[in-house]
Amino acid sequence: MADIEKLAKTAVEKAVALGAKYADCRYVETESESLSFSDGSPESVNRSLDKGFGVRVIVNGAWGFFGSSVLTKDEAVRAAKKAVEIGKASAILNQTPVEFTLSGAYIDDYVSNFKVDPFTIDLKEKLGYLENLDRLMAGNSAISTRGSQIDFRKASSYLLTTEGTSVHQKIIQSGAGIDIGVIKSRQERAARSFPQNGGQYECKGYELLREIDFATAIPRLTEEVIALLAAPECPSLETSLLLEGSVVGLVVHELIGHPLELDRVFGSERNFSGTSFATVDQLGKLQYGSSIMNVVSDPTHPYGLGSFGYDDEGVKAQRTDLIKDGILVGYLSSREMAARIGRKSSGAMRADGWGNIPLVRMTNTNMSPGDKSLDDLIAMAGDGIYMSTISSWSPSDDRSSFEFGCEIAWEIKGGKLGQMFKNPTFSGRTVDFWNSLTAIGNEKLWKVWGTPNCGKGQPGQNARTGQGASPILLTRVKVGS
Amino acid sequence: MIDERILDIFKKAIKSSQAEQTELVCESEEFYLTRFAENSIHQNMGRSDSTIWCRAITGKKIGVARSNDSSPDGVSGLIRIASDIAGNQIEDPDFVSLVGSPGEVEATGFYKDTFQLSASARAEAVADIVSRAKSKKLSCAGTYQTSGVSLAVANSLGTSRFAKNAEYRFTLTATANNGRSGWAQAAGRDIGKFDFRTVSQRTIDKAAFPGEPVKLESGQYTVILEPDAVANFLLFLGFLGFGGKTLVKKRSFMSGKIGEKIMGDNITITEDPFIPAIEYLPFDYEGVSKRKVILVEDGIAREGVYDSYYAGLASTKSTGNALPPDNSYGPYPKAMTIEGGQYSIDQIIGSVSSGIYITRFWYLNFLNPMKTMVTGYTRDGTFLIENGVITRPVVDMRVQQSMIEAFSNAEMISSERRLIPQYGALMLVPFMKINNFNLSVA
Repeated sequence: MADIEKLAKTAVEKAVALGAKYADCRYVETESESLSFSDGSPESVNRSLDKGFGVRVIVNGAWGFFGSSVLTKDEAVRAAKKAVEIGKASAILNQTPVEFTLSGAYIDDYVSNFKVDPFTIDLKEKLGYLENLDRLMAGNSAISTRGSQIDFRKASSYLLTTEGTSVHQKIIQSGAGIDIGVIKSRQERAARSFPQNGGQYECKGYELLREIDFATAIPRLTEEVIALLAAPECPSLETSLLLEGSVVGLVVHELIGHPLELDRVFGSERNFSGTSFATVDQLGKLQYGSSIMNVVSDPTHPYGLGSFGYDDEGVKAQRTDLIKDGILVGYLSSREMAARIGRKSSGAMRADGWGNIPLVRMTNTNMSPGDKSLDDLIAMAGDGIYMSTISSWSPSDDRSSFEFGCEIAWEIKGGKLGQMFKNPTFSGRTVDFWNSLTAIGNEKLWKVWGTPNCGKGQPGQNARTGQGASPILLTRVKVGS
Repeated sequence: MIDERILDIFKKAIKSSQAEQTELVCESEEFYLTRFAENSIHQNMGRSDSTIWCRAITGKKIGVARSNDSSPDGVSGLIRIASDIAGNQIEDPDFVSLVGSPGEVEATGFYKDTFQLSASARAEAVADIVSRAKSKKLSCAGTYQTSGVSLAVANSLGTSRFAKNAEYRFTLTATANNGRSGWAQAAGRDIGKFDFRTVSQRTIDKAAFPGEPVKLESGQYTVILEPDAVANFLLFLGFLGFGGKTLVKKRSFMSGKIGEKIMGDNITITEDPFIPAIEYLPFDYEGVSKRKVILVEDGIAREGVYDSYYAGLASTKSTGNALPPDNSYGPYPKAMTIEGGQYSIDQIIGSVSSGIYITRFWYLNFLNPMKTMVTGYTRDGTFLIENGVITRPVVDMRVQQSMIEAFSNAEMISSERRLIPQYGALMLVPFMKINNFNLSVA
């Protein structure tokens, strides 16, 4: 890493010499491994190693950035020159210079929580793990398709800023998931997945794979997916809706996390991801949800997929209240965006690898647990619908309305679970939906669900985020199929 | 951006490989993007990177590794990692072989002026657009990007191919104070042919269209889809059914229906990488030459696109549509076209007594993949058509529609087609008038 520190120093010093008022250099090295099985055969075993650095500058009051995978001193100089040249071009149009809140200067070395580095585990053991999952899923001849995958990622990074921050970070993440499908005819297919659609991802090592109880889940999923084909479509009505925890996780992500990204609120994403209904004039006033709803951004959580020590512009990880007692009280922000509302950055500036400009992204967006057991929630629902496992999501561009689809649903009648429904959906207006929140599952049911593929920005950037959630009960929600 | 000398590195490395078969692929890109919002440039960047893939084969065991180190040592190291994976892998009984293709160096669609467009030239174009938008009290957001890309493929069966091209892409959203907006985008190879003023004016005119938006009830409407909206559907149809993997796995809406009518008589969809507007790289990530593929002809399902693996499973030949070796999607069509019709856009609008004009869709997602049922929203330019004239804006609505049903209800298709980028794909598509289209209150 000494060479990398030198390379970063060269780039930052060159940028300053060329007129940059601020400069940072971020080196990122990402090792990843992905293995999958499909219908009894190994579908893929992929390993990758990606490394490079990016130089970000403020020059003439405007931003410039250049990234390269060539790790030489000459390239560091070229990258700094390019970043400054690009920044000066930005200034041709910009009338208002970038304002940037101050950050402390940190010198640190952060390593995420893990017990077993997955890159030390033999490939044969990993393939054996998948073979075993495949064998368990192959037990019933009615199953038409089966898939399983495991993924591991180790990101080592270094950030140097002109403010004196010099931070090394190493973050290890793991993920695993399965899906089972039954094809009945040309137009009828049912699927179930576990622990959630696309698998569960956490900031953990190989131990995550030993914690997920696939063996218990597979017989239940098999029974469910076969029964789904014969199940009726979910009826269209307005009713009480109980959502399983992983569903809540994605709904929190789409309907709380994204709308509270402050760059989006100010219009930075107008051309692509969209805007937000949660405008800054409503800060401290908007009754976003019912009074039992509390949501924080928390990158300090020990296992969340959105956990880190420092964000990508050197702000230390911190908990930030977003919604308190149902009221909008905060945003996810960067140093530049926070300055626009007179606050400090929430430390949510994150980039996809070395070759992208950091954007305001979610960390772990966690809804605080309540005190209800699942049985309590079912009983409280009286008559309604219980939905599990997201299969489809579609929010409006300002996130004020939405439609989600789930893999499976059950009727709730007289406070007890009844018949199964297929192709369930729920839709509505975001603020109305969260204000109909009447009960939240307890801490035992709470989990940080990982989303490894959150997209935003142009060019498209992927972020890995977490959403802490337990099951929730809502009233008067429009459901259908 | 890496040039054809990478093939020399590849050939030497392959010679020393211990694997039975070895394939090396390099995709190199130098990319620049000026992103603007609130009438200012807020993200302005450049990036230079090269991705190298190695596929090493031992018997029927396959190992794949990827890195961005294109040095001779880096490439040799990558072969060792892929070979190690292959050695520990489980046999894939369906794997047959890599493909040997004739070697040559091709330069298709590489326009130096596109590749070398400066940051200040991009910024000046954006400043011109912003100035015109401001005169109409509009706020602009968008992107102006240029890139140069090269692709090199070599393998131990004699494949040795290199090609490069350049591309520009432009997107623009103009927004009025009342929140109404317009959208347009453009793409191509030759920056000299890019008329950003015409494209941006289309956006500005939409955002500034007079009248208060009308809120319509849920129901079935006659709609006119702009090429952007048509391309949104085509992208999803590509995922759902035109790729060989979905056909082999019987997950495609075309599974079991080849030779059968699945859309209207007036719909012909092809994968056509060679038409001048698209000028795609002439071979895929396995080095296999691309060819024109008729996916749907006069509404009848014809064939899908294949890489060598899924072609083997389907007892056919690769169509040159392999994606990078570590992808899990399988083969995908990246240069789709829909055949144009006989009508001008004015004739199509003039034929609608009551309907809705849709610029594009947003956040489409599957509700029922086998029925190609998607949900999503209209966005950035939705208008009411009354008695053959666009009269006023419409509050955006939710779409819940089977895409093949929509393409079965296309009453009129324009002769004009536009080149629309959709992620990694370029599509040449027309306007469409579609009846009985499902829209609901958002």
